[in-house]
Amino acid sequence: MTAEERLALAERTLARSRADATDVTVIGSHRALSRFTRETIHQNVDEADVTIAVRAIVDGRVGIASTNARDDGALAAVNDRARELATLAPRDTLAPLVAEPAAVGAPPGAYVAQTAHASADRRAQIAAAMFARAKEAQLWSSGYVTSEDSGITIATSAGARLAFDGTSAGANVKMNGTDSTGWAESYAVDIDALDGDAVGARAARKALAARAPAPVDPGEWTVILEPAALGELLAFFRPYFSAELFAEGASYISGKLGERIAGENVTIRDDYAHPLNPGMPFDFSGAPTARLTLIERGVAREIVTDDVWSRRLDRPNTGHAVPRAGGWPVGPQPLHTVVEPGSRSVEELIADTPRGLLITRLWYVRYVDQRRSIVTGMTRDGTFLIENGALCGGVRNMRFNVAIGELLEDCEFANDSTRTGGYAYSLVTPSVRFPRFRFASVSPY
Amino acid sequence: MEFSDAAARVLDTAAARGAVYCDVRFERGRSERIEVRNGEVTGLSDERSDGYGVRALVDGAWGFASSNGFDDAALDDAAARAVAMARAGAAVNAFRLGEAPIDTYIDTFATPVERDPRTVPIGERVALLLEAEALLHAAPSVRVGRAWLDLWRTEKFFFSSTGSRIAQTIVQTGSAISALAVGDGEAQQRMWPGDRGLYQSGGWEIVEAAALRENAARIGEEAHLLLSAPQCPSGTYDIVLGGSQVSLQIHESCGHAAELDRVLGWEANFSGTSFLSPDGLDTLKYGSDLVTIEIDNAMPRGLATCGYDDEGARSGRSDIIRNGILVGFETSRDTARALGRETNACVRAESWAHVPMIRMCNLNLLPGTTPFEELFSDIRDGVYMEANRSWSIDDRRQNFQFGCQIGWEIKDGKRGRMVKNPTYGGTTPEFWNSCDAIGDDASWFAWGTPNCGKGEPMQTGRTTQAAAPARFRNVAVGVGYDR
Repeated sequence: MTAEERLALAERTLARSRADATDVTVIGSHRALSRFTRETIHQNVDEADVTIAVRAIVDGRVGIASTNARDDGALAAVNDRARELATLAPRDTLAPLVAEPAAVGAPPGAYVAQTAHASADRRAQIAAAMFARAKEAQLWSSGYVTSEDSGITIATSAGARLAFDGTSAGANVKMNGTDSTGWAESYAVDIDALDGDAVGARAARKALAARAPAPVDPGEWTVILEPAALGELLAFFRPYFSAELFAEGASYISGKLGERIAGENVTIRDDYAHPLNPGMPFDFSGAPTARLTLIERGVAREIVTDDVWSRRLDRPNTGHAVPRAGGWPVGPQPLHTVVEPGSRSVEELIADTPRGLLITRLWYVRYVDQRRSIVTGMTRDGTFLIENGALCGGVRNMRFNVAIGELLEDCEFANDSTRTGGYAYSLVTPSVRFPRFRFASVSPY
Repeated sequence: MEFSDAAARVLDTAAARGAVYCDVRFERGRSERIEVRNGEVTGLSDERSDGYGVRALVDGAWGFASSNGFDDAALDDAAARAVAMARAGAAVNAFRLGEAPIDTYIDTFATPVERDPRTVPIGERVALLLEAEALLHAAPSVRVGRAWLDLWRTEKFFFSSTGSRIAQTIVQTGSAISALAVGDGEAQQRMWPGDRGLYQSGGWEIVEAAALRENAARIGEEAHLLLSAPQCPSGTYDIVLGGSQVSLQIHESCGHAAELDRVLGWEANFSGTSFLSPDGLDTLKYGSDLVTIEIDNAMPRGLATCGYDDEGARSGRSDIIRNGILVGFETSRDTARALGRETNACVRAESWAHVPMIRMCNLNLLPGTTPFEELFSDIRDGVYMEANRSWSIDDRRQNFQFGCQIGWEIKDGKRGRMVKNPTYGGTTPEFWNSCDAIGDDASWFAWGTPNCGKGEPMQTGRTTQAAAPARFRNVAVGVGYDR
């Protein structure tokens, strides 16, 4: 659905509102994904939907309703349901608002037409390149190729009209041998930037290099986490910068704004305009999103807010509201994390490590103690021993228990910034070396 | 049946474009949610989503396309896209994956409902949550109270080119309360019921069974007391797990491990594979003789209960673990055929927009014979844990580490003082083989999980693992805090 079609739909919806104030959000989504195993595409999907969400305000009360039907009757009905819910809701202590008009500009390069219109055959060709690498290395492959385009339009009774269109393409593959696996990923706005052969080759090299994995003792190790592995960890660190978690006292940085919480070489931003991961310049309430420095040279500087939490905490609205309807209760979130890279290459970090582990990817990271930033998880799909500055074979996977906050007090980032995480979450980060990473147990594989 | 004309058009279009088999699943979904936080209604929403998903089979390859357009052009386009997806896969695939099913069902199913949630006034729903949430603030340290409820209703209409026509109405309901207590550099959370609320199939009676108001003050008080409770010890202990935690243990270490798509490598790049394999059928000693785990997708109140799965196979019962031995897997038609078996109807899609795939459905640990309090009776020094707060398991479902919201010491056969931050870890078969007592019928309960993630694109599944509290010997306790 084009931006013009979404705007027309939003205007038709808004015109049918009888509430005191209203905002309408129209989201058009189109996602295709070709998933494969053993060189065979087993899930080949093409999903399309349009959702119209209405937030109605009546006498200081709020109701939210949504539909994906687009006829006039459905648009009137969704307004009526939102308005009815609002009349039945208790009054908020904070007067609900709708967004005012604001000038926001989409970051350049967020939408690429060939990604939006990529065919199933195009994705199959990229997958086939990975299949070829698997066969060549006598491995079997499992992964996907995806292309998607999505657009959002917000229209409010206060006159705001905002729109954003974005595309994303990605491929990942796990190469499987008899006793080892290797994995690689690639994401871009433009599907033409995906190189199935290169992704397949990288994963195959890892799987072959990890053969006959040796058991090593758990305990404290120097580790180098590649971007995907660090991304898994940071997905459990960035929620600490939500105003809601911060204010509740459940955040690792609660009470620490302005204090040093990490090493001086740690700078983490939230930047929707980063060229590797361009995103929406406004939030789901229609407020312009600010580009923030969350940690500046080790000091906690900012938390992200929305129209509610900015007023509760008497802070600026940074424009980080997430969708309001459905799901679990979460406050504003920094969804475009960018870690400032270091100066040395990951190869230099490896060469400068007498004994340690190189980790491709983590799995099933979960909080053990959210307030203290303690998480657990596993290594997977390519864990290698470093001895005397050189990689020397694969090791079995291990379970770790680490406090992310403590890790960031002493670390060195490489200069290989990469977009990682695909569609599940998305951030830009380099590799990192942590000198003290605690493993609790070793797996049989 | 509704959508018959639209279905006929989709099936005809797919056939004309070369599909040897096609099915289409029309759905009307409605999700109502209310959220309360610290005395305010922070969310009051009513979401409706209608659409359909088309599966087409061409040259042994599947394609799937979904749409919310209902005019002729949209119906034709969805069918054409599904066929094109299948054809693109067939061109590069190493082997034939799918075969057209031959079974045909013409039937209806509806979730038994005692009180239709739609008849409960919104004012009554909101009042319940506000009252329960207020009671959570049993101590000043309880900084945040939350309460919420979800009312879900899905109407499904399944048509296949082999003649199946199945209409189903699924009603699922859930509610929960949560208290967050904050102390000096520490936060403790308690939830009720279990670790994510009470989610079952059924109507408003499920909300009433959750007894939110009746338990809110205790939950708030426990969150407060945890701040000053001693740390759970670290070491090797006998443990007793509460029913909801046993449910989580089944979910993570058996439910996902026994999904046959994982076993066959279909999930390898994301959710992972499994330490189980077809070679282990009827021989692998998964657990102690007490451990029998079965699928029952027709059970009352099961969150995954329905008449037919999303590829049109009839729900029923089948064993996964019988007296400790692996005897089955959760299957679809294609995966079951690889074992020479019939599907046990474990295929689900999150919505009309999503491709059906194997999902853990109702997978239950059958009750034992030990009354709850007797589970503690011969433990000299152990720990009792309730309500999950941390869960992690490796990508073959062997090495796990879990944490609970609350624990109590067990001393000389009796529950003792409260401990905070209880955790335990182990390896799946060793752990289940250490199970030497399971609670009786009186403590057996259908715990539902409304947010199980799997697949790419990620899908959320709704599943039940009915369980009773159980006892396990010589378990590593305190892991995660012994850094």
